[in-house]
Amino acid sequence: MATKRKRSFFDIIDEYFENLEEWAEELGERLLERPSWNQKTCTIEPLRDIMVTPTEVIVTVDLPYTEESTIKVKPLDKNTIEITAKLKRKIRFDDFGITHYKGEFQTFHCNTRIPVSVEMDKMEVRFKKGILEVRLPRKHGYPIPIE
Amino acid sequence: MSGEVKIIEKKEIPLGAVMLFGFPDVGLVGVIAASHLISELENIEEVAYMDSKLLPPLIVLHEGLPHSPIRIFGNHNILLAVSETAIPADVIYPIMDALIDWGRSKKVKMMISLSGIPIQDRQDLKELKVFAAASSQEMLKMLQEKEIEILQEGYMVGPQAIMLQRCATMGLPAITLLAQCFLNYPDPEAAAEVLKGLASITGIKVDVSKLLEKGEEIRLRARDVMRRTQQEMSKMKKTQEYDIPLYIS
Repeated sequence: MATKRKRSFFDIIDEYFENLEEWAEELGERLLERPSWNQKTCTIEPLRDIMVTPTEVIVTVDLPYTEESTIKVKPLDKNTIEITAKLKRKIRFDDFGITHYKGEFQTFHCNTRIPVSVEMDKMEVRFKKGILEVRLPRKHGYPIPIE
Repeated sequence: MSGEVKIIEKKEIPLGAVMLFGFPDVGLVGVIAASHLISELENIEEVAYMDSKLLPPLIVLHEGLPHSPIRIFGNHNILLAVSETAIPADVIYPIMDALIDWGRSKKVKMMISLSGIPIQDRQDLKELKVFAAASSQEMLKMLQEKEIEILQEGYMVGPQAIMLQRCATMGLPAITLLAQCFLNYPDPEAAAEVLKGLASITGIKVDVSKLLEKGEEIRLRARDVMRRTQQEMSKMKKTQEYDIPLYIS
């Protein structure tokens, strides 16, 4: 009778991480498979990027054609920020030669989830060359003494 | 697999032209630069297009008519291959092989890829540098004479990397021009710089002022292509270009 080899702890961990990677890839693709605009709310979603360093999280958002004075960055909870910014003028689909959709947009809008614990109240924001940069210091635990 | 990629010619193709590539990559530098060349150069028109089942089932509609997402524009001395969609990472080899073989059959005298090199804190830079890598010592020497800085060490990932390696193997003169740019955001300023570099190498000169004036509009319009390109760049491990190579002599 064939005996089934018992899976080691490391096999289980490996499998867990493989599944996690597959899930993350699938989720990324699914998130992409939707329009970057919302006709109901008249908003468009900006391109954005998150970088996690040992000391801080840096979120950058591409906000071309916006007025700096209209940019708002608002913490929604302990790990999500909401970003809105008004465009200099209303953009219509037909500005891009598209006539089969109707609608106009005047606001960039996105909610961004921060992947690690941060100190929201110490947020620093700057805007340069149409790029918004949000810096959030990471929360730290306590140091473990080295014996 | 390159047999699965066909280049359909619509017009007579000039022999001995310079072949340029503007494909979606970091900062969409190549695509924005190519699109500007098409709008500024005289007598340039679509001369050929790519037909391949390796590409996603996709066409681009312009004025109600279907077009391949990968097309070749040309005039008497230029052939410009441009893609209006992100090229899936797993088909870059056969796509580039087919284009290079086709260019070789048209006896192109040089191939130049227009692209970017990502740099952190790009928004803080006032001036953007243009670097180049070449397929041979002779081409490197020519670049140095034109005072274009050589990308001495590092990794290159994407269509321009394949082009350079293939051309080096075939002995076909080739250059990859790379302007410092944003990794994940469309960068018309970088496209303008790469076009200035192209002008100093080939004499193909266009006015880049409109590109800079309309920069914000271009960034707004290019968001969706950038979004798709980000995904393909991530699949081909594009951030490896930030890595320091281990030099093996």
